[in-house]
Amino acid sequence: MDASGSHSLLSISGLSASYSTQRGRASALSEIDLDLGKGENLGLIGESGCGKSTLLKTVMGVMPGNARIDAGSIAFQGRDLVSATAEQRRAVRWAGISMVTQSALNALNPVLSVGDQIAEAILAHRDVSRAEAWRRTQALLAMVGVAPERARDFPHQFSGGMRQRAIIAMALALEPPLVLADEPTTALDVVVQDQIFRSLRELQQRLGFSLLLVTHDLALVIENCERVAVMYAGMIVETGPTRDVIRRPAHPYTLGLKNALPRLGSREEPIAIPGGPPDLVDPPAGCRFAARCPFALLRCHAEPPPLTSIDVGRQARCHRAAEIDTLAPLAALPRTWDALRGQSLDAPSA
Amino acid sequence: MASYLVRRLGHMVLTLFAMATLMFFLFRLLPGDPTATVISPSLYPKAQEAMRQQFGLDRPLFEQYLLYLRNLCVLDFGFSFQTNRPVFEMIQGRLLNTLLLILPSMLAAYLIGAVIGAMAAWKRGGGAEVSVVLTATALQSAPLFWLSMLAILLFSIKLDLFPIGHIVTPGLFPEQDWRMYLSLDFLHHLALPFLVNTLYQLCFPLLLMRSTMLSTIGEDYIELARMKGLSERRVLFRHAARNALLPLATTLPMILGWAVAGSVVIETVFSWPGLGLLMIEAISRADYPVAQAAFLLIALLTVLGTFVADLLYGLLDPRIVYD
Ligand SMILES: Nc1ncnc2c1ncn2[C@@H]1O[C@H](COP(=O)(O)OP(=O)(O)OP(=O)(O)O)[C@@H](O)[C@H]1O
Ligand code: SF4
Ligand SMILES: [Mg+2]
Repeated sequence: MDASGSHSLLSISGLSASYSTQRGRASALSEIDLDLGKGENLGLIGESGCGKSTLLKTVMGVMPGNARIDAGSIAFQGRDLVSATAEQRRAVRWAGISMVTQSALNALNPVLSVGDQIAEAILAHRDVSRAEAWRRTQALLAMVGVAPERARDFPHQFSGGMRQRAIIAMALALEPPLVLADEPTTALDVVVQDQIFRSLRELQQRLGFSLLLVTHDLALVIENCERVAVMYAGMIVETGPTRDVIRRPAHPYTLGLKNALPRLGSREEPIAIPGGPPDLVDPPAGCRFAARCPFALLRCHAEPPPLTSIDVGRQARCHRAAEIDTLAPLAALPRTWDALRGQSLDAPSA
Repeated sequence: MASYLVRRLGHMVLTLFAMATLMFFLFRLLPGDPTATVISPSLYPKAQEAMRQQFGLDRPLFEQYLLYLRNLCVLDFGFSFQTNRPVFEMIQGRLLNTLLLILPSMLAAYLIGAVIGAMAAWKRGGGAEVSVVLTATALQSAPLFWLSMLAILLFSIKLDLFPIGHIVTPGLFPEQDWRMYLSLDFLHHLALPFLVNTLYQLCFPLLLMRSTMLSTIGEDYIELARMKGLSERRVLFRHAARNALLPLATTLPMILGWAVAGSVVIETVFSWPGLGLLMIEAISRADYPVAQAAFLLIALLTVLGTFVADLLYGLLDPRIVYD
């Protein structure tokens, strides 16, 4: 990892962040390590509330008022953003890192024309005339497949798919090296989703940006990202090449995620992971997944596992990562998880 | 758009007609003989009778009503019981005086209220926000006449900064013509009622702006605007405030109603010769034609204001389509 640091575009290390809530500080991100090279696509998956959006907002530097970075660094093109001044951060926003937000439907200001909202991003960072910014805006819209003359339209005159395309055009307006996408297509139907990802891939070939894609949808990650990071309760629990991680998960949570997928051409019922995520205000002392893990040992409840390398470019945060090949077949059995539904049991011996 | 305007104008005419009718009958229901203030009971009965005929007070009520409506259409409000001058003539100048006081002060109240409200929301949680909100809430719930009297006591009587009332120093402009409005003396007289009214009227837009801004700030498009690297000022004014203005525009008609009611109070306390004061004077003397005309004009102002507010809303919100 360190050796590749020189050509790494985004390098997050030891990042922890928390929200202040009525019950105390909720540790929403904990010891996040993540690397993203130039032109690389990284998928980020994990169940709702695990901190994916928090991570992206922290990278963008637009955390809500009750959020705080507790530790760690976010290096973008070798410069740390956490310790940067507000003005330095503002310059990096959009020109360096742009973002396609989770709800494109609400991300456009209803009282400003779509074109104006794209043009203002250009004007905020580039020394160009209004006319030139507008010309670029129209070219951008055409590039993502929206008729340029629609630039004067207001968001409510756009369909959901068009709005999403407009946001993508906006994200690419300054040709940033890194684009973050937070569930860019969840609100859209599958056909439109396919179209949008197809044009996103085409644009990427032309413009060469890196993509950090957050999604619930494993299939999207498999199609679009060479590497994937799995998040659980504010922590990265596994990273690696997408194919390897999906084929041979190294963490019980990833095994569970894979089980929960409906398998095409298989009679097996998807198995849901029992239970829910831990309380982030008072997180478990040991492994954060322990309460839901069928393989948890006593040690797991007492001692948090570190993120360790298990193969070239692969890491997992599990005390039993080394035994995963023997645990995997058990994880495919509904029985294994059912045992947890009644009461948390000790792991069956391997 | 054209058909919308026609329909909207139709509504306005109907509203005014209803107001006029209501007013006619309300005035006839008031206690006391209206002729008593004009026609001295000590006059000969024959002379009293002649005056009744002159004012149409001897006809049946319904006939009086039709006559009243016809006269309204040609802006003939009759003659004042009190001064015997045509009401229309008396009212013209008064209308201008009221507009000169209320319009600038409402405009200022909205602008200043919206800006302070927006800033308060932006700096939420700070001591400045808390004191602004507390002050505005207190001011808003204070009676306007009390505020006005307090202002006169402090600034006119104690500090001697402003005149105590009236529109110009009495006797300075015996002609009461347009030159009066261009004088410094007029501005000096205008200042205190203007300030008091502005201060009072800005509380509502301020508090409303603050609370809508607070909900706007949490919107996704504000976050996106920030992410785009726009300056905080631009995010505040172009994105957040622009949206928070919408509820302000919706409530404008209601506020105009308050402003008009407030003008009656302000004009009375500051002896400002506007419509409101005229109305109060006319009522206390049972000068029906004058009071009626003043009422009607005030209603007209409110209806027109509502209409303008509607059009304004359409300008602010592109989602509104007039058809
Ligand atoms: N402003 C906030 N204040 C307090 N807690 C918050 C705030 N925003 C998010 N959280 C909490 O932080 C955790 C992570 O939230 P986040 O939105 O990052 O999850 P996510 O992985 O993006 O979920 P989803 O897939 O539903 O979008 C959740 O437990 C959430 O309740
Ligand atoms: S550390 Fe233990 S509890 Fe956590 S995932 Fe691994 S086996 Fe399960
Ligand atoms: Mg999210």
